[in-house]
Amino acid sequence: MPTIVDIAVNNDNFKTLVTAVTVANLVEVLKSPGPFTVFAPTDQAFAKLPPGTITTLVQNIPQLSRILTYHVVPGKLMKSDLEKVNSVISVEGSPISIDCSDNFEVKNATVIMADIEADNGVIHVIDNVILMG
Amino acid sequence: MTQTLTKISPSNHEFADIIHRLEAGGSMLPDTPENLMQIIGIYKAYAVPMDFYWRDLLYIAEKVFLNPLPFFKYFLPQEYLDLKNHYAGDTADLRVWRGCAEAHPELINFIEKGETIKGSKLFHHLWHDRINMEFAEACMRAMYWHGRDMGMGKFDSYLDSDEYKHNADVAIKAYFKGNPAMLGLYKLFPEMFLEQVRQLSYYSNLGLFWEVMCPVFYEMSDIYDEGGFKDVSDAMNFLVNGIFAIAGRPIYHHVYIDGKCYEIISKSKGFTWLYEAALPYVEAVFYRTSPFRGTKSYNAQAKQVPEHQKDFHYGILYADVFPVGSAGIPPTLLMDDMLHFLPDYLKEYYQKNCRGEDDQLIQLGITFQRSMYNVTSAVIQALRTALLYPLDDENPKHLMKNRQFFEAQMDRFKRPEARLKDIQNPDYR
Repeated sequence: MPTIVDIAVNNDNFKTLVTAVTVANLVEVLKSPGPFTVFAPTDQAFAKLPPGTITTLVQNIPQLSRILTYHVVPGKLMKSDLEKVNSVISVEGSPISIDCSDNFEVKNATVIMADIEADNGVIHVIDNVILMG
Repeated sequence: MTQTLTKISPSNHEFADIIHRLEAGGSMLPDTPENLMQIIGIYKAYAVPMDFYWRDLLYIAEKVFLNPLPFFKYFLPQEYLDLKNHYAGDTADLRVWRGCAEAHPELINFIEKGETIKGSKLFHHLWHDRINMEFAEACMRAMYWHGRDMGMGKFDSYLDSDEYKHNADVAIKAYFKGNPAMLGLYKLFPEMFLEQVRQLSYYSNLGLFWEVMCPVFYEMSDIYDEGGFKDVSDAMNFLVNGIFAIAGRPIYHHVYIDGKCYEIISKSKGFTWLYEAALPYVEAVFYRTSPFRGTKSYNAQAKQVPEHQKDFHYGILYADVFPVGSAGIPPTLLMDDMLHFLPDYLKEYYQKNCRGEDDQLIQLGITFQRSMYNVTSAVIQALRTALLYPLDDENPKHLMKNRQFFEAQMDRFKRPEARLKDIQNPDYR
């Protein structure tokens, strides 16, 4: 089975995410056995950020890594697992709220494709970049 | 009727009108040409002293460091006047102001001449014809003092980590190398020195925060002078975009001793402008700060000072500008600094109102209060954008979450000292 990175690289909707993960030197981490749960924002999600946001982050790798690791949770958590909790703790250290009462929502993002299984975890595709706070 | 109001019922909050304005993408400050003129004019007057503040804060954090007799810490060396702003000029990482990267020409002119005559720095310092760095230090102390209690970002808790203590120890020993008296004192009172270094880390934090705000305010003034910004929301949205654009700028503390850089807080810690500087700054300085000694007496036993730090409410959003308008009080020092750099249109405006020149410090203080309600609105809208939902979201449940967020923010202005009601009235000056 492909890894989380393989799935992202082979999908045209994750070009920005793949670039960011590469620049932040997180490729090897996300290829490791993990397992991880990744909330993966699409290119359209990144495009919603106001101008300059990505430029500043790409110029400052530790800060970019921090935002990216906020989208990763240790362990393989399928939608059915996340339905039972209100929040999970990200690799960055801050909590991510989960709301499955109506749609499948992760903070202020909606999951547009859930449970894409990888060799080292699972990907849930989201329509917004999520931020700590 | 805003898009939100057609999808969910109106708010019953005490400040429902203001909440509906925020939901329509507006500011807490009413949208009038007079308000727009006032806030942009004061942003310009604030930007020039702020150009001195951020440079001197970094100078103190990086070079003055633990000097036990820092008599000359406000004497900014040429090196720091020439220090290139990371967000202005041709060399900028991300250009938010098209002007120069070095200190603003109006600031250079003021440092040379002040309001009196061209003379030595020492003369201007002793005559107090200078930029009042004491105001910047009061803001820094507010962040430092409230930092632990607020628990915002990761900066303050890092100051207690073993890694930070080790980095500070290396820098302290390097700084006092060959000085047995100070090294002996350090051995006797290590915590005292460490606490000073922590404070210096906050000097750096605030300096790096204002390094960004200074060119943002210059740019707003330039845009307004060219006829841009049609209303208050435009000005607020410029700030919101600015907040996002530089949200990821690193916050760090480097010290230079004998030409060598000591990284007390490395950029690699991942601390960011938004989480470790901007949000703690707004909470500590706009909302909380501390009671200003001098013109008002506070009796803690009579519960005139809140029991918990989170209930402190002495920031600009609550300040009664009139009693603090006296010598030596930090907000007054800022008003005095801004007075030197008022644009002509604002000078004329103050001449026409109240007691003209006699009370223009108070008038500009209240203009400053209006302008900071607009900055706070930008922060509230930025947080809503980052953590909640678009204002034109189709889902009523999402709109209700936005509503709850706005109402919770407005709850902070229910206390009688808050000036939110006052700034709705154009005659409040």
